[in-house]
Amino acid sequence: MMTGVAEDEEKWLAAGIAGLQQNAFYMHRAMDSNNLRDALKYSAQMLSELRTSKLSPHKYYELYMRAFDELRKLEIFFKEEARRGCSIVDLYELVQHAGNILPRLYLLCTVGSVYIKSKEAPAKDILKDLVEMCRGIQHPLRGLFLRSYLSQVSRDKLPDIGSEYEGDADTIMDAMEFVLQNFTEMNKLWVRMQHQGPAREKEKREKERSELRDLVGKNLHVLSQIEGVDLELYKETVLPRVLEQVVNCKDDIAQYYLMDCIIQVFPDEYHLQTLEILLGVFPQLQPSVDIKTVLSQLMERLSNYAAISAEALPEFLQVEAFSKLNNAIGKVIEAQADMPVFGAVTLYSSLLKFSLHVHPDRLDYADQVLGSCVKQLSGRGKIEDSKATKQIVALLSAPIEKYNNVVTALKLSNYPRVMEYLDNETNKVMATVVIQSVMKNNTHITTVDKVEALFELIKGLIKDLERTAYDELDEDDFKEEQNSVARLIQMLHNDDPEEMFKIICTVRKHILTGGPKRLPFTVPPLVFSSLKLVRQLQGQEENPFGDEAATTPKKIFQLLNQIIEALSNVPAPDLALRLYLQCAEAANDCELEPVAYEFFTQAYILYEEEISDSKAQITAIHLIIGTLQRMHVFGVENRDTLTHKTTGYSAKLLKKPDQCKAVYACSHLFWVDDQDNMKDGERALLCLKRALRIANAAQQMSNVTRGSAGSVTLFVEILNKYLYFFEKGNPQITVAAIQSLIELITTEMQSDTTTPDSTADAFFASTLRYIQFQKQKGGAVGEKYGPIKV
Amino acid sequence: MASRRRMLLKVIILGDSGVGKTSLMNQYVNKKFSNQYKATIGADFLTKEVQFEDRLFTLQIWDTAGQERFQSLGVAFYRGADCCVLVYDVNVMKSFENLNHWREEFLIQASPSDPENFPFVVLGNKVDIDGGNSRVVSEKKAKAWCASKGNIPYFETSAKEGFNVEAAFQCIAKNALKNEPEEEIYLPDTIDVAGGQQQRSSGCEC
Repeated sequence: MMTGVAEDEEKWLAAGIAGLQQNAFYMHRAMDSNNLRDALKYSAQMLSELRTSKLSPHKYYELYMRAFDELRKLEIFFKEEARRGCSIVDLYELVQHAGNILPRLYLLCTVGSVYIKSKEAPAKDILKDLVEMCRGIQHPLRGLFLRSYLSQVSRDKLPDIGSEYEGDADTIMDAMEFVLQNFTEMNKLWVRMQHQGPAREKEKREKERSELRDLVGKNLHVLSQIEGVDLELYKETVLPRVLEQVVNCKDDIAQYYLMDCIIQVFPDEYHLQTLEILLGVFPQLQPSVDIKTVLSQLMERLSNYAAISAEALPEFLQVEAFSKLNNAIGKVIEAQADMPVFGAVTLYSSLLKFSLHVHPDRLDYADQVLGSCVKQLSGRGKIEDSKATKQIVALLSAPIEKYNNVVTALKLSNYPRVMEYLDNETNKVMATVVIQSVMKNNTHITTVDKVEALFELIKGLIKDLERTAYDELDEDDFKEEQNSVARLIQMLHNDDPEEMFKIICTVRKHILTGGPKRLPFTVPPLVFSSLKLVRQLQGQEENPFGDEAATTPKKIFQLLNQIIEALSNVPAPDLALRLYLQCAEAANDCELEPVAYEFFTQAYILYEEEISDSKAQITAIHLIIGTLQRMHVFGVENRDTLTHKTTGYSAKLLKKPDQCKAVYACSHLFWVDDQDNMKDGERALLCLKRALRIANAAQQMSNVTRGSAGSVTLFVEILNKYLYFFEKGNPQITVAAIQSLIELITTEMQSDTTTPDSTADAFFASTLRYIQFQKQKGGAVGEKYGPIKV
Repeated sequence: MASRRRMLLKVIILGDSGVGKTSLMNQYVNKKFSNQYKATIGADFLTKEVQFEDRLFTLQIWDTAGQERFQSLGVAFYRGADCCVLVYDVNVMKSFENLNHWREEFLIQASPSDPENFPFVVLGNKVDIDGGNSRVVSEKKAKAWCASKGNIPYFETSAKEGFNVEAAFQCIAKNALKNEPEEEIYLPDTIDVAGGQQQRSSGCEC
């Protein structure tokens, strides 16, 4: 059916073109032989093709353009005729003999153009005549094209100021009046189309109207190009007249399009100076007009204008552009009760961008816009409409992008209130945008107030919002989010310990609401942030002024204890153990023995009660040994308790080789090289001896269960420990002991039951090489190693 | 007959919104310039008489809307063009990148008989801005593109200062003139002995 229509249309067009060409042919022939009568006759017949009602605007335009090109040649012919002495006035009369009105009016306009050029009569009179005569065509499509022809041929002949057709004092009024009248008539024709024909063809009609719109809008372009239309004239006459037509036509298609045209064709300065008039029209438009788009475009234009021409800024202030726009938006929303929330948000988003561009220093404006937006959103619950959501994200992103500084956004009290209306997912997206901005711009967030405000903004990431469905969470996304929160926590800093301590307390308050899934991500950065503060205070006189409220390492450690304790509910014992040990080490450096002891106690409790996996135990025990080894703050008693426990744990590991490794590592707890009061050679040796026994037992066990003794690696490792303490001067380690260990390993390696192990062989060989090397070194070392035979 | 046709040269100006198409035309035809941005709606032309090799021609210069939404009726006016002027803003990369699109769009819509040799002229406008410090498209780059499209003549212009505008349009007119007219040779199917033709009646009398 549709293709049928299109095919028919092609046929009609082809027929029209054929008719047109045939008559043009005769017209050319007549012109070539200077036969005016025939030229007029054939041109009229040619133009009759434009009387068709069968073509859509697009096709009609094609036909029109061909006729148009032919009329240019006719126009030249008319000029030549005039030069040859034919009176143009007569010509003007003569063409009116054409039988049909449409060809007659096309010819009249064509001669009229030559007439004006001849200056035999004032341009304004001829134009007035022509624009009146065109009323003869009331068929919308034909009328619109005829009038657009008139507009085109008169375009360079308007009695504009400075034009060669300039008339008397009122010349510019005449030029303007002509265009305005043509515009008004065209708009009437265009609007009338809507009401002609059967209702079922409404869609087709609207499509046709949409195709024709530029013919009407063109007049506004012409008005904007008239030199004499200055601001004064625009404000007093042009704009009110055009707007009057826009409002009174009561047609939503025309209103939407023409408002868009006005905004686009006239310059920014004019809009700024007539803002009140222009904005006053919006509430009067039909409720179905998409005002938000038009108004947004206006604000966008003005924002760009402000952005590129700084000298225009005082003008913006002078005309109070912001408050006018703000008021207008309020009125439009009020007038259009059915406007979806998306529309209102779009308007405020545009206004916010405008305000940020034009008044970057007026944060109160931005906050006001957000406040108005909140007012619109209130009572609607969370926003479900995805388009509206997108607009809110744009709205909220604008201040962050503009200032590149979240701190500025934090000053906007209505900012978090707008966020309330986002669904949980989008709320998180927005929170991520905030965090990314902090990261990217390395924004320093330095006070408790700002931290509070910041956490208010990102609370979607900090805790479960209502109605969160857990199973919808993507594990990777979640990790990503929480890692970004962790990074953010590291960025919160103030050099003043008091303020920093408050920041830490604030962060703690917030992250503790995060629940077991988030704590493993958020607790560590807070712990390290706190430890950084401890390091800063470390070495300072404890409470130098006796000020009870002052921040001291002790106070921080108390807090740390509570922070880490939160992990027990997760549970995350491995993580908590590491953090306790970190704290213990810091307490050690602050010379706080009881505090350090307490942290160790906590770590041990976790080890005993929570860490049951063998592998985790091995890791934990080595961490404990490593940390304890570095402790110097403990008195003999405390230290004994802790080392005793540690060696006990070591010897109770599940697998013999693991036991062995942990026990020989414990030897370091008794002999610390740089601590003179911790050089208990005997107990260090005891550890090594015990490790040897375990290694032996491991060999035997292996023999029984697998039929082979396993590797000698453990023995070589123990030998290395012997050598270490030997070199460090532990008197309990004798040459004989080392000697016998070497022999033991050599024998073991030659034994049939030992599993060949090239790694162990190489290890042993390089150990021996080391001994050799030390022997050859000479001096005290060489002397020490001398007696060892390899 | 052919002479009458040849007295009119049709030129179409194309390019992105805001590159200065209307300003170039106004500068050339009226020697006027306005700094204000005013969008163009639809298409229309201004004419200018040019003297060339002792003959007088009328240059019909079509200014067009750069914004697609103001081109609702399509581009039937491309038909019969003798030269197409492609304009970009030397300070806006996108407007240069879009030249290709405008050129191809023109060739498709106007479908000249010999697209390979259809005359184009490229204008890099707004060279005055910020003393040339904000330009992002170098002359070399623009010329390379023009060379790759069959040695399109290239001009750097400033509609604001009138720089090179006259020279550019001289070249445009010259190239338009070189374009072979595509006059459709029309022969009527029947010789109308009576010298007249039946009026086709269609509907109302208007």
